[in-house]
Amino acid sequence: MQMDFSVIIPEIAMVSLGVLVLILGLILPKKSLPRLGWFTSFSLIGILALVVLNWNNVGTVSGGLYLIDQFSQFFKVIFLTAAILVVFGSMAYVDKHLGGQAEYYSILVFSTLGMMVMASANDFITMYLGLELMTISFIVLVCFRRNDSESLEAGMKYVLLAGISSAVLLYGLSLIYGIAGTVLVVEVGMILAVQQSLPLLLVGVVMLVAGLGFKIAAVPFHMWAPDVYQGAPTPITSFLAVGSKMASFAILIRIFVLGMFGVSLSWGILMAILAGVTIIIGNLVAIPQTNIKRLMAYSGIAQAGYILVGMVTASQAGVKAIMFYGFIYIFAVVGVFTAISYYYNLTGSDEIKDYAGLSQRSPLMAATMVVSMLTMAGIPPFAGFVGKFYLFMTVVENYLWLAIIGLIMSMVSVYYYLMVVLVMYRDRPQDSSPIVVSLPVRMTLIFTMLVSVVLGVYPGPLSEIINKAALSFFMH
Amino acid sequence: MLESIFIEIADIIRYWFLDLGTPELLTEIILMLIKLSAILGFIIVNALWLVYMERKVAAYIQSRIGPIHTGPKGLLQTAADILKLMGKEIILPDGINRIIFILMPILIFVPPLMTWAVIPFGRDMTAVDIDMGVFYILAVGSLSTIIFWAAGWASNNKYSLIGGMRVVAQMVSYELPLVLGLLGVVMISGSLNLNQIVIAQDNVWFIFTQPIAFLIYLIAGISETNRAPFDLVEGESEIIAGPYTEYSGMGFALFFLAEYANMMVVSAVCTVMFLGGWLAPFGMDFIPSWVWFFLKMYFIIFLFMWIRWTYPRMRVDHLMAFGWKVLVPLSLANIFVTGACIYIFRGIGW
Amino acid sequence: MLPMFDGIDWLGVFFYILSAVIVVSALLVVFSKNIVHSVLWLVISFIAVAGIFITLNADFLALIQVMVYAGAICIMVVLGIMLIKRDDMNKTNMFNSQLYFGGAVALMVTFLTGFASYKINYSGNPPMVPENSVESIATLLLSKYVIPFEVVALLLTVTLVGAIYIAREVKADADS
Repeated sequence: MQMDFSVIIPEIAMVSLGVLVLILGLILPKKSLPRLGWFTSFSLIGILALVVLNWNNVGTVSGGLYLIDQFSQFFKVIFLTAAILVVFGSMAYVDKHLGGQAEYYSILVFSTLGMMVMASANDFITMYLGLELMTISFIVLVCFRRNDSESLEAGMKYVLLAGISSAVLLYGLSLIYGIAGTVLVVEVGMILAVQQSLPLLLVGVVMLVAGLGFKIAAVPFHMWAPDVYQGAPTPITSFLAVGSKMASFAILIRIFVLGMFGVSLSWGILMAILAGVTIIIGNLVAIPQTNIKRLMAYSGIAQAGYILVGMVTASQAGVKAIMFYGFIYIFAVVGVFTAISYYYNLTGSDEIKDYAGLSQRSPLMAATMVVSMLTMAGIPPFAGFVGKFYLFMTVVENYLWLAIIGLIMSMVSVYYYLMVVLVMYRDRPQDSSPIVVSLPVRMTLIFTMLVSVVLGVYPGPLSEIINKAALSFFMH
Repeated sequence: MLESIFIEIADIIRYWFLDLGTPELLTEIILMLIKLSAILGFIIVNALWLVYMERKVAAYIQSRIGPIHTGPKGLLQTAADILKLMGKEIILPDGINRIIFILMPILIFVPPLMTWAVIPFGRDMTAVDIDMGVFYILAVGSLSTIIFWAAGWASNNKYSLIGGMRVVAQMVSYELPLVLGLLGVVMISGSLNLNQIVIAQDNVWFIFTQPIAFLIYLIAGISETNRAPFDLVEGESEIIAGPYTEYSGMGFALFFLAEYANMMVVSAVCTVMFLGGWLAPFGMDFIPSWVWFFLKMYFIIFLFMWIRWTYPRMRVDHLMAFGWKVLVPLSLANIFVTGACIYIFRGIGW
Repeated sequence: MLPMFDGIDWLGVFFYILSAVIVVSALLVVFSKNIVHSVLWLVISFIAVAGIFITLNADFLALIQVMVYAGAICIMVVLGIMLIKRDDMNKTNMFNSQLYFGGAVALMVTFLTGFASYKINYSGNPPMVPENSVESIATLLLSKYVIPFEVVALLLTVTLVGAIYIAREVKADADS
């Protein structure tokens, strides 16, 4: 069988990069290991350029098992951007707290590759394996502070829950396979379109939602998120919050919107309820948090709820809204977490009260955190507002209650985000010496802040691109 | 005539049953049972003989005489030993896990017995000829680990438990190079069927085309059978007798015989995979194929004994380091080189 | 595979025997008080599953099942058990306060799935199993399923690297 390998050049490049970093780590002298971060990030930028240049080079590989369309290309852009930002943001942290640069960066690359595979997978097997590649890489990365029992505990919890959720997901997939007799999502979609709603299909759908619900940390499958987010090395937390979540959304969209379009009525309401509960619980529980990473974990749960809203209608507008919001979400989350991890590097604390007077010590970090948090809260003129607008527009017609819940809870979220802002700007610092922000971190902070502002003011072109990408998704 | 003697015996039995009016399927089942019991007898007789041989070889290497008193040249020594062990009381110590303790010495014979079922003793002389012979042997062989371990655990003795854990560590670590080593042969012969692998060695034995794989297999095989220099599992000077510490009488004898049965399996597989199985070298066809198989197998067994009585025991950490840091990379490299060579030779048009 | 003999569907008989073994031993895995007994029952359960595969003509899968699950996974479990410290082995596989609730949920899911699976008629005849299944699997793995295959390879690499990194001895000078 002849295959067109040109469409999967980015993936091949990722594999080479991951292996290369691993080998370089073995042969380079110990003191030049920190430079691996720069090497990885610039290589990732190169691969991102490859994806963008191949934007229109779409097609399928290996008999339709692997699908490269603009939808998957866009998700790959999201993952690669997130990975690049995370690598930039984590260099200082890794050198100071972790060591093992080669393993760290190469596993990070591999987990990104897992996400890319997930975005492109068109069959259950590839999807599941991509998911496992990502998850197992994340397990290792979460445990990476191997001298710290908190990190190991987080890793342990993640292993157990990832295992359970994978089992549930696999069982669900096997039931769907039993009904449809094929693992190809497109074919499943065609077969299910002509079939009535079977009880077994419902069981399968519930299991799929539960399994993927764990990965995106939707209520009631969210319990692991705060502990793991708190225990993991901070850069990894941000990657977990963005990459893992968006990749799981990619396959969630692929399976449900493409594979089960014909029975969307039976799962639409399920998604709607799940989204509503997730938004409410995530936002309410975030209010009393005192640790910034736990706060961000609960806010991340709430964000998953917002993104789920786009799934409810199984429409092009919904897919587009998810993609748009996902793109914005990376910059917001990575901005906040980069600041958090840099601050942790200096002070060794993640408590919100220790952020007192950050605005005087480092105006840049404080400003980035404010902008990013307001983006997540959905306040105009920042980008998050546009994203949320697209998301809620899709449900206004049929599920008005969901839109109302979303709006009210966004207001609630402003409250706890502003609590942090208040501490940073109002309170006096205990140690008022200014913080010198290192170059990669400064670049990351400025870049994320700029994107959040620019996309908020001028979302047009991006929205157009995503529109086309979402359209390509339905063209199979 | 002599070549096909066993096949003819089988045919005679088959026709005899058919003449009696037995249905065909039932005949095949009965025949299969007869074959398997013949194999069982073969294993036990050989194991008894091997114990004697081991003592003689050891004695020769150490400039002693070995057993001479029981029977002519001491040949009945093992039989006498077994009789003695059978007469002994089977002691069930306090605090053991009774069922597992009693069951494991019996179960330990199952994997070698199952493995022998697929091994070709000679031309057309395979009890069960299955397509995935190599794979089957490896899969069934991997089961004995947990039996050793369960025996050690059930004894409720710290030496047994340490021995059991050593079994697990050692056998799991060395199973990997074992499998990867055999993979080179499978790649060249293009089949997992043991008979076809033998036939593929018609021109040249795989020991010459796969020398590294042979060495890896030999080393890993010694380790899998827990023999010196890898006999840490039952290192007398450290942990009494490892998992067998608490076993007495027939229980111990069964483990002892199983060790030799396992050694025979490893040697037989080695013969089939690397030494051309039942093929006669240099066209010496006048000697029947099953004799050749037997001779080659005993050559490998002798090699094992030679190694055992010549080298001292390894240390645990050295053992693990050697397995993971030398054998596994080496076997992977072997696979890589083999693949490249096959590709090149096909390109040339061999 | 087996012919009809004396009017009995031997395949069916084997299926029910093996299923009974699987179910009983799986239940014993859960309900044994001693966790080592659980592991040994698990081995039996895995081997019986391999038997089911054989009745389906999937002999390659059956051997994989024996080798990987009975041979390797159980060993892993054993190594895990050896790291547990308990004075009384009969208290190693305990139930907690969620026993009845969890049991009820498990039963419910079982019946729901069973009922739903019973209601559906699985359509279509599966294609015949090829004579030489290993070769067909190998061809498929390296042509149609090459991407998942390679992903598995990477997955194992990552697992290996990660496990070695996390479990590696901490040298005194490494993290100071």
